[in-house]
Amino acid sequence: MKDVISWILRVVAAVILGQTLFFKFSGSEESVALFTQLEMEPYGRILIGVLELIAVILLLIPTSKAYGAVLSTGLMTGALIGHVTKLGFAGEMLSLSILAGIVFASSIALLILHRNEVPILKDLFKAEGQPEL
Amino acid sequence: MSKLAVDFHKLSTFTSMSLPLGAIFGFYLGYMVSFYFHFLTVAFLFLFVVDLIYRFGQRRHIILRNFGIIGQGRYLLESVGPELRQYLFANDYEELPFNRSERSEVYRKAQNIDSASSFGTLLQYDAREIKLRHSMYPVSREELKPYALRLGARDGCHEFVLTRPLMISAMSYGALGEHAVRTLARGAKMAGIVMNTGEGGYPKYHLMEGCDLIFQLGTAKFGVRHDDGSLKDTALAELAAEDAIKMIEIKLSQGAKPGKGGLLPKEKITPEISELRGVPMGRDVVSPPHHKECVDAASTVAFIRHVQEVSGVPVGIKMCMGSLDEFRELLVSMKAQQIFPDYISIDGGEGGTGASPKSFMDGFGMPLLPALAGADRILKSEGIRDRMKLFAAGKLINPHRQMVAMAVGADAIYSARGFMLAMGCIQSLQCGNNTCPVGITTHDKVLQRGLVVEARCQRVKNYVELTIHDLEQELIAVGCRSYGELSRRHLFVPHDSILAEEFKVEKSA
Repeated sequence: MKDVISWILRVVAAVILGQTLFFKFSGSEESVALFTQLEMEPYGRILIGVLELIAVILLLIPTSKAYGAVLSTGLMTGALIGHVTKLGFAGEMLSLSILAGIVFASSIALLILHRNEVPILKDLFKAEGQPEL
Repeated sequence: MSKLAVDFHKLSTFTSMSLPLGAIFGFYLGYMVSFYFHFLTVAFLFLFVVDLIYRFGQRRHIILRNFGIIGQGRYLLESVGPELRQYLFANDYEELPFNRSERSEVYRKAQNIDSASSFGTLLQYDAREIKLRHSMYPVSREELKPYALRLGARDGCHEFVLTRPLMISAMSYGALGEHAVRTLARGAKMAGIVMNTGEGGYPKYHLMEGCDLIFQLGTAKFGVRHDDGSLKDTALAELAAEDAIKMIEIKLSQGAKPGKGGLLPKEKITPEISELRGVPMGRDVVSPPHHKECVDAASTVAFIRHVQEVSGVPVGIKMCMGSLDEFRELLVSMKAQQIFPDYISIDGGEGGTGASPKSFMDGFGMPLLPALAGADRILKSEGIRDRMKLFAAGKLINPHRQMVAMAVGADAIYSARGFMLAMGCIQSLQCGNNTCPVGITTHDKVLQRGLVVEARCQRVKNYVELTIHDLEQELIAVGCRSYGELSRRHLFVPHDSILAEEFKVEKSA
């Protein structure tokens, strides 16, 4: 059961992150406009794209899913800050912010689900009586 | 406080306060200057959350609860400590159980590199180590007598002749993974030495390579037991009838955990092991501390006789010495019943294992040399030294120590860890966790992949050849034609060495 939920969350996050990569890397008009608004064109767009790509890969590989969740939580925190401070929620930005919110929520859920795999927090959540030798 | 020291509690409070401030500052810069500053915002937010969890969301670690994220530094440093020490800071002579100098001697032999060193000994030469006394008149190589140790020369027994003085000590399939067992067995076959199967039940993988084997009968009698833990005679007879099984060894106790039975952690119990041993999965397998047939000296001797009769091959016992008086009692009982094991293997308290309670590993059992010397002395004083052979085990990985053991009374040498090192062990001390990085003491296929049987068995053979070569060189220098001629006269024993006490007893006797 836990596995199924984990896979659903990871696929949802990975698909949403992944489909934007195409727009980011191909320099589509909307994407360029968005990053111009953030004053990050063009390097910021490429940088964020690469980080998102890494997050997608980490999320989909079972042994690194917790690391992927950490990274995508961070990226989505940044995206949401962007919406709050610069991009706003009008028109197309509304759907983009909702997607960012969904990825953020699934990443947080993954972190909670796999809390005993999250770097630097994991040994707090391992069952007592099984110290790591 | 005049001391120049960092007050970590103040520092940690400062850190905890600065994290949210950092996040706010990053946010401000991100808003006013450049969106890139939000990387800072996010990083500080993360650290802030982690710090909150450490301080308020957990009760397990005091340091983290009191010092927050600064406290994590201690755990990080501590976690890399063993590796740093092993690779960077430990000198060549301070690691245990085997220091880098001892390990590299084995590695060199395994890779067929000669052991010549330069400039002088790196040991404290005037310290308490035992030295060999060379003769002014060494023998020549041609004069050396071929090694041949006859075991089981009695009625109704298949005699076995040991032709090389080195043997692979007991390591079960279970403690070792499949690749490791097969590497050792194939190397043993190539080198013509005998290998002990350990107490892991039917030695399926040991048998695959066709080397000579000693089957070890542990206290749980894996492989040859009734459900109540008593000996299943038919199963033992069947095993002993196998061509490869040359001898049986009754394990009374073991140097790494004397007074306790074998221990196989649940991490290492695969379905196959559970079947070979007849034990459930998901639980540590703890063998009983003694054979249920052996409750005193007389019954122990009777049990030896029983195993000899059932198996028809030479039968030895393996024990770690607890008390020499108890040992004498056992010998007296042997004399009374006129029943003798074909050999006794003395395991020193310094012996190794995959898993043992720490207090037993560290705090029980006589060290090998005084135990062996005592056993040899008592056997002689009871007049039955010629009725059985003595094997020695316990950190005997290098020729010098092996030679000392021979001079103290051993007829042949057992080593387990020496062969593990030869095969590729790097002493990472994870034998009980199923995470052995070199695939020796693990059943993880991924880790075993690195240990290629075909490539590694040659190292086992090289180690045997070069070790025996060194032993023979030493024998020549001491002026003996065979190991049997060695005696304590050939040892220089400083007055505060571990053997001094035993030598005093002997002189006064």
